[in-house]
Amino acid sequence: MFRNTREGLALALPAAIFSTLLFLVPVGILLSEAFRSGGSWSLQGYIDFFSTPLNRTVFLRTLKLGVLVAGTAAVIGYAAAFCIVNLGPKSRGKVFGMVVLPLMISPVARTYAWIVILGRTGIVNEAITGLGLSDTPLRLLFTETAVFLGLLQLFLPLMIISLVSAMENIPRDVIPAARVLGASWIAVFFKVILPLTKEGLVIGGTLVFTGALTAYITPAILGGSKVLMLETLLYQRVNVSNDFVSASVIAMILIVMSFSANLLLKRIATARS
Amino acid sequence: MKTTLSLLALASAFGTAAHAEDKTLTISVYSFAQDEYKEALYDPFEAICGCDLVVETGNSVERMAKIEANAADPVIDMAVISTQDALALARKGLIQPLDGAKLSNFDKLYDSAKDPIGDHMAVGYTFYASSIVYRSDLVDIQSWGDLLGEDLAGQVALPNITTTQGPLTLMMLGKAEGVEGDLSPVISEIGAHSDDIVTFFSRSSELVQLMNQQEVIAAPVGRFAWGSFRDAGLPFAWAEPEEGQAGGMNVMVMTKGNGNEELAYQFMDYWLSTEVQTKIGEMLIDSPANKEVELSAEAAENLTYGADVIESLNIMPAAEVLDKREGWVEQWNAEVIQ
Amino acid sequence: MRHLATWSILGLTLTFLIGPFLIIILAGASATDYLAFPPEGLTLKWYLKVFTVESFRASFALSMALAIFGTFMALLLGVPAAYALNRYDLPGAETLRTIVAAPIIVPGIIVGLALLRYMVVPTGVTVTLALFMAHTALVLPYAVRVVSSSMTNLRADMEEAAVLLGCSRLQAFTKVVLPNIRGGVLAAFILGFVTSFNQVPVSLFLSGPGVRTLPIDMLAYMEITFDPSVAALSALLAFMSLAIVFTAERLLGFSRYV
Repeated sequence: MFRNTREGLALALPAAIFSTLLFLVPVGILLSEAFRSGGSWSLQGYIDFFSTPLNRTVFLRTLKLGVLVAGTAAVIGYAAAFCIVNLGPKSRGKVFGMVVLPLMISPVARTYAWIVILGRTGIVNEAITGLGLSDTPLRLLFTETAVFLGLLQLFLPLMIISLVSAMENIPRDVIPAARVLGASWIAVFFKVILPLTKEGLVIGGTLVFTGALTAYITPAILGGSKVLMLETLLYQRVNVSNDFVSASVIAMILIVMSFSANLLLKRIATARS
Repeated sequence: MKTTLSLLALASAFGTAAHAEDKTLTISVYSFAQDEYKEALYDPFEAICGCDLVVETGNSVERMAKIEANAADPVIDMAVISTQDALALARKGLIQPLDGAKLSNFDKLYDSAKDPIGDHMAVGYTFYASSIVYRSDLVDIQSWGDLLGEDLAGQVALPNITTTQGPLTLMMLGKAEGVEGDLSPVISEIGAHSDDIVTFFSRSSELVQLMNQQEVIAAPVGRFAWGSFRDAGLPFAWAEPEEGQAGGMNVMVMTKGNGNEELAYQFMDYWLSTEVQTKIGEMLIDSPANKEVELSAEAAENLTYGADVIESLNIMPAAEVLDKREGWVEQWNAEVIQ
Repeated sequence: MRHLATWSILGLTLTFLIGPFLIIILAGASATDYLAFPPEGLTLKWYLKVFTVESFRASFALSMALAIFGTFMALLLGVPAAYALNRYDLPGAETLRTIVAAPIIVPGIIVGLALLRYMVVPTGVTVTLALFMAHTALVLPYAVRVVSSSMTNLRADMEEAAVLLGCSRLQAFTKVVLPNIRGGVLAAFILGFVTSFNQVPVSLFLSGPGVRTLPIDMLAYMEITFDPSVAALSALLAFMSLAIVFTAERLLGFSRYV
């Protein structure tokens, strides 16, 4: 740690000022509309929002899918990242490239691919009926499962990248040493890997959870209006009713959810170490 | 006729050439068939007016939001939108009345296109019918009521309430069930069948995909989308339900205080001309609102064409959609997609 | 045995991640007017059509420019910030971190709308400039976080040692810190580039006459038709990105840093 505060601030402030002026201020003004009702400050927007059953359903569904996607991504992410880090340098670059690749593809197209995959005549249903798991094709599109898969596919790479980048900093001999000393893989994971990669998990977890929360295209195309999430609901409020108060309320809820997730993950990470 | 028009066009071209050099007209249109519009409408108009035409496209919601956001200093000079969107803009004071006298082709329009939303705020430039597209090898559609019948359970899609087609479908389902006036029982009925409906779609392009992969075998669509089904190779048919077809109109509006009225009128007039409306009709893009247009048999078959057809359409008044939509959406949210 | 386990985990993960991409490539070559997989008949017509759609060309150029310059700007702001947040004992460091990270958790649609209503309209800045700023702000959190993360485990005493051995602070930064975080910076650039390039909701409201980003243009295209040209375009874009990553790997040994 350097002590020269002025120098440090000079380096950090341009980013903060940029973010504040061009981002926080306009968004802040818009969000303040969520607390406005007939020209005075009020919480009426929130009360109205949560008193509608549909809104509560959508809120809980968004939370549920966000947690499921982030949780699944973490499990798969750790397994995949661990494998990647332990590959030889050559295959490691190739595999990592393949992990990054889906990020390069427009979410529009990646979502659109699932329409074909999950359709009545798509490969998943062919497999299901082919294996005799079901006589008739299942309806997969426009269900929570479809949205879950779409979101997971969309954001899993972010988790893997974060975890790989955190894991590469684990000194090479630590894990073999722990194993030699008789630690089980589970112990190695909780006592060695997790504490040393918590930063990556926090970043990855926040990115995936927030991404799942604020994705628009995936729930819009794979869920449609039968599987509304907060972001699609927000879009509907802006679009259909020009209702900026509701839109701001939803935006505020999304922001609070992501902040809480970030804090919670950080808390968990510090508690473990 | 064509000669007169070209002469007129030529005359106006010479007349305005002196001041026209730096002129720009910004229009906001549906992002649909832009290559065809360019050929039939934009390029010839630019040649006539000696001006630059800036074309903004997008879905109606984005375009409406943009017109509203830029109300103080309009970027868009004229827009083509649905009647209810036009009425919404009119009520917010974002558009100005149109003077029919400034449109030489005004008298050639079908009467219902002359002042569709009142106060001369808009003129119609195209009509469209709306009916049910279905797989004729798998089902048979006689009535709008069949949409909620057993044959289609699990394989039917309905337009979302928030789309233009949504309220039209409600109206026709209401007709089939003998519901008049208040459409809320129809929404409850759809709610009761919610599990049988694959999705509530918002774009007909999405529906083309779903019907081609056999996810859906019947759904209400606008006639303008019929071409994408007809050419797809599967046995699709256009239903002629006993309750008739629903219909609607798209209109032209002029933003308030855009300072570019003269050019905007010139453009609207050109678009409404028999020549342009015929060309666009023959390309199977828009059905004409100009009753002097004469289409080939092939184009007529694919469009919403002819006084008989247009007069028989079940059109929902823009004010009804606009006034009731919020209530419908609320009920829909509570009973259908809950 | 361990090899088998490793490769089955990676194989399954990669199938899940890459499978849809392969489907898009093939579906883009389907002779049908809609997306079909397996493709029915093979054709290159959709791949060729992409190049004839005029709006795709203009929006591609805009998205490229936004992604490159926006990300570059974000790194210019973000790398010093990440460095400062890691190396200095700053008052209010958490607040600074939060401010810089904020753009990531605000729903894009709200950002676009807010910028249109409270920046473009009142100040009259052009939509292109607003897009540039919005994209920079959006990439900034990635820049700071990824670079930060690669800096966390880099021991500060190496840099201190360099200073003690006579390097200036700037030299210590360029000779000790920068080479060590190069992978992080590159990763941040690629992540930022992609985030910006594929950004949809923010740009939805930020479009003006003739100014529209590529994803918005693709969405607008899909409102008209689901023909496979969007799939073909996506496949082409992915190949372009793949070439970038491949080049980065060749020239800089990308994978050593990630």
